[in-house]
Amino acid sequence: MIKFALIMLTGTFIASVSQIVLKKAAEKEYPSKIAEYLNPMVMGAYVFFFGASLCSMLGYRAVPLSIGPILEATGYIWVAILGKIFLGEKISKKKGLGLVVIIAGIIIASLGAR
Amino acid sequence: MKDKIKWFVFLHIIILMISCSSISSKMAALNMPSIKGLMFYSITVFILGVYAIAWQQVIKHLPLITAYANKAVTTIWGLIWGYFLFHEKITPLKLIGAAVVIFGVYLVVSGDETTDENQEFLEKGADNND
Repeated sequence: MIKFALIMLTGTFIASVSQIVLKKAAEKEYPSKIAEYLNPMVMGAYVFFFGASLCSMLGYRAVPLSIGPILEATGYIWVAILGKIFLGEKISKKKGLGLVVIIAGIIIASLGAR
Repeated sequence: MKDKIKWFVFLHIIILMISCSSISSKMAALNMPSIKGLMFYSITVFILGVYAIAWQQVIKHLPLITAYANKAVTTIWGLIWGYFLFHEKITPLKLIGAAVVIFGVYLVVSGDETTDENQEFLEKGADNND
């Protein structure tokens, strides 16, 4: 179960990375509307998203459906951390508290899944 | 106001759709490797594709905080589908955990709106309008 939960968590991390890449891509100027979508960064991000959905599916081999979406909430944590590192986004006190609360909720729910 | 309600309902249809993609993902996992498994995985990818497009529309019409805070409801759908379709137990700890996660997500997204940077941006915007 733990192995599969880790696969799912890895998928959530990959999805978060691709969100950051999409955000980075959105900040750039493009010559045309099509180029906004058909450029290496955006296309790469979608390949990552596909990989993430594959990880999620593999995780579900053992992770209960009732726990999957709760584990996926770790995405908020990754996006906050990666956003701070790569986009210079601030983590306010309230946001930081929220991240800790999410982690607490995930731990509580995981204990209930045993 | 009526428009807001319409988009709010649309938001929850999308959220329900994402929760359905988890069902097909779970079905794919249980049936892999087989044609049936591939079929369920294709459904998952298709739903995620539709969701990506629909989500863009929702966040154009509703505040981000509303959209993301409500999206956390997928944890509750996970509990419901798990119970009814896969005979998983809904334990008190799972319920409390899901509620705590939803509260945490609310804090994260509402904390986002009040960061100094956003505040500065809003104030600057107000100045420029003068």
